Amino acid sequence: MKKILAIILALTMIAALCACGGGAPAASGSAGSGGSASSGSGQAGSSGGELAGTYDITVWCPDNEVELRKAMIEEFNKTNTDGIVFNATVENVGEGEAATQLITDVEAGADLYNFASDQFARLVQANALAKLGSKAAEIVKEGNSPAAVDAVTIGGEMYAYPLTDNGFFMYYDKSVIPEDAVGSMDKIIEACEAAQKYLAFDVGSGWYLSAYFFGAGCVSQWSTDAEGHWNVNDDFNSDKGLIAMKGLNKLQASPFFLSKSGAAEFDAGAAVVMSGLWDAGAAKDILGDNLGAAPLPSFTVDGKDYQLKPFMGYKFIGVKTQTDAVKAAALHRLAQYLTSEEAQLQRFEAVTWAPVNVNAAAADAVKANPVIAADMLQQQCCTAQGQVNDGWWNLAAALSATAKESGDEAAYKAALQTYADGLEKLKNLREGLIFVGAWNGWNNADEADTYILTGDGDVKSLTIEVPESDYMGGRIVNIGSWETGMGAAQVKTGADLIDVAAGGDDNNIVFVNPGTYTVSIDTASGEISITAG
Amino acid sequence: MNETLEKRHMGLRASRAISNTIIYVILIVMSVIWLFPFVCIVLQSFRVESTWQVGYVIPQKWGWDNYVALWNSDFKRWYLNTFVIALVVAALQTVIVLCMSYTLSRFRFKMRAGLMRFMLILGMFPGMLTMIILYRVLKDLGLTQANAVPGLILVYVASSGMGYYVSKGFFDTLPKSLDEAARVDGATRAQVLTKIILPLAKPIVIYTILTAFMGPWGDFVFARYVSFGTSAGMNVAVGMWNWLTPDMINQRYTMFCAGGVIVAIPVAILFMCLQKYYVEGVTGGAVKG
Repeated sequence: MKKILAIILALTMIAALCACGGGAPAASGSAGSGGSASSGSGQAGSSGGELAGTYDITVWCPDNEVELRKAMIEEFNKTNTDGIVFNATVENVGEGEAATQLITDVEAGADLYNFASDQFARLVQANALAKLGSKAAEIVKEGNSPAAVDAVTIGGEMYAYPLTDNGFFMYYDKSVIPEDAVGSMDKIIEACEAAQKYLAFDVGSGWYLSAYFFGAGCVSQWSTDAEGHWNVNDDFNSDKGLIAMKGLNKLQASPFFLSKSGAAEFDAGAAVVMSGLWDAGAAKDILGDNLGAAPLPSFTVDGKDYQLKPFMGYKFIGVKTQTDAVKAAALHRLAQYLTSEEAQLQRFEAVTWAPVNVNAAAADAVKANPVIAADMLQQQCCTAQGQVNDGWWNLAAALSATAKESGDEAAYKAALQTYADGLEKLKNLREGLIFVGAWNGWNNADEADTYILTGDGDVKSLTIEVPESDYMGGRIVNIGSWETGMGAAQVKTGADLIDVAAGGDDNNIVFVNPGTYTVSIDTASGEISITAG
Repeated sequence: MNETLEKRHMGLRASRAISNTIIYVILIVMSVIWLFPFVCIVLQSFRVESTWQVGYVIPQKWGWDNYVALWNSDFKRWYLNTFVIALVVAALQTVIVLCMSYTLSRFRFKMRAGLMRFMLILGMFPGMLTMIILYRVLKDLGLTQANAVPGLILVYVASSGMGYYVSKGFFDTLPKSLDEAARVDGATRAQVLTKIILPLAKPIVIYTILTAFMGPWGDFVFARYVSFGTSAGMNVAVGMWNWLTPDMINQRYTMFCAGGVIVAIPVAILFMCLQKYYVEGVTGGAVKG
């Protein structure tokens, strides 16, 4: 009996395995050899060029482009003169999703993928983007505006191919908003209120909200150096920022304001929606001939007009770093083909994506489309969206809540100060220099700001109180690190105040006497100076 | 005399009517709140005049378009994947859990208590902690992306032995003398389990099947990680989630609702058929721990 039970159990297991086995081939049947991201078989054949061969690749692009992308790759297989044949599996992975997905496992990711410009730095850091060769770089430079070229460059190297832009502008209902009102936010709000229709502008999100600040003349530019450390040039916490806050208050004070985006709002009673090209189809379907599109209007504060300047980023096609150089070269050919003038025009026809290739953008058909025209006009008046620290979005979004709640200038100033403090923290968390030593208990993760060296530009400094103790030593490190490169040996000014010999192998700065000292470091040259008092 | 009785009677009836009214009003309000989202999803799935989110509930035009569109998309494959996973896991997990519970309830062996304690402690760690390691292991076995289905089955089934608590509790309540009587009559241990214990433990068997089916049916986090952007290996939750991008939501919203309805159907049927056992099962193990 025991035997029988054992046999039954074993059979159940086998049956189950068969069931899995049955499921898997059925599932993978139509996907071809999907998933074998790194199994490229690039044999250099004798026919065609040295890139000739058949390659299994995985391609990620958003849902609405999948069919088009398949057709384009087919077309590339037929027309390319190098004898390259791609056996491609095209999967639906959106631009926002691609980076998150890839970074968790670069190896399993797609060989060719779309991504948005704000993901750029992360992908380069994760070594998930292959550098463009000099010839490819030349093609990108020729075909694109300097701004687009800048956007794919880090540390002098180019890493991706510009595909389309990624920004927002204004869709409106022509039957509600008169032609002469589209340039002014005040008039638009008036028209909406008169018609009892809503104005949808998602200023609860940092991406939309920042249009007000940039419009008022503020800047916020994040940059990363070759090691991926963040730096920011930001002046939201200023008089210009106050103007933006007042503008935001005025907008949100209207009972017909909606903090939403998306063309579907037209169906829910909106007359104005600030959104991007992804809503073009739905907006057209809902409003029909009444659909109008224009760049964002200007807002008025204290009798002065300020033109809203939204973020405008790009969407790129990137090639994943490959172990097989021949396959990599073939993939770059494909990427060039997919971002060529013809391909961008084709994409414009099929899914209304705005071309960024300068020739494609100048085509008559493109200019004749009113929505694309508005998008193009917006490109003339925008803030180029480079890389942005992920933590920034929430920080910025918090400002709109304050602007909604009160009309009080003091409250605005406090909110802007909180924003600026948050910014500093965001920056320091990854980048700050800290004086680590006996004073802070050798805590190299000090987030209490007490031992962080601050300052604009290259020179960062800190005033410390050195108490009497057996060991009055320490050194400068990046937060979270124990590096020994910024210590006694780098002290150029004030070497008489320290005991160089006592620093030992750790290169510590050991003070001879207790007291107050100002330690500063020139991050460009690496020189440290110490002054008493 | 009669009059006062009548009066009292009326008073009772009136007060009962009032309390009933209040209770029913509360119940109706609560069920409306509970059911409204579901009704909305069902109604939206039949809306064909537009495919985006709208500000009204009752469709202006009714039709099957969204279901047809689902049929023509990858949804079929995701659904099949989910179904295969859930079915196989339900079968295997039930066998493992019941054997485990029977063993721990009836057998006395060295380290029995230690083993139970060990599993209790292991169970306290959040499962998500192991996700990255599991992913690496599955990847090395070639069970990710397009082969995610067997990979996921392996993961779900592998840890199922630890979910023995409820059914062991129930088995403990069955008198041991039944086992002993059967043994005296010449039954093997296995026969005791299949012929004596299981027929008595029907509610708990059904409860085990239900929970084993539900876990993989609704899984998202791990399924998403393992399928890694490959449509062929996705389950419904992961596949449909990919539709919710700003680019696509306007074209996919009503389809998404239709998908939600289809996903709910087998679960609803399962619960309707097995409902009475389910309650018994949940509380069954509570009598004696």
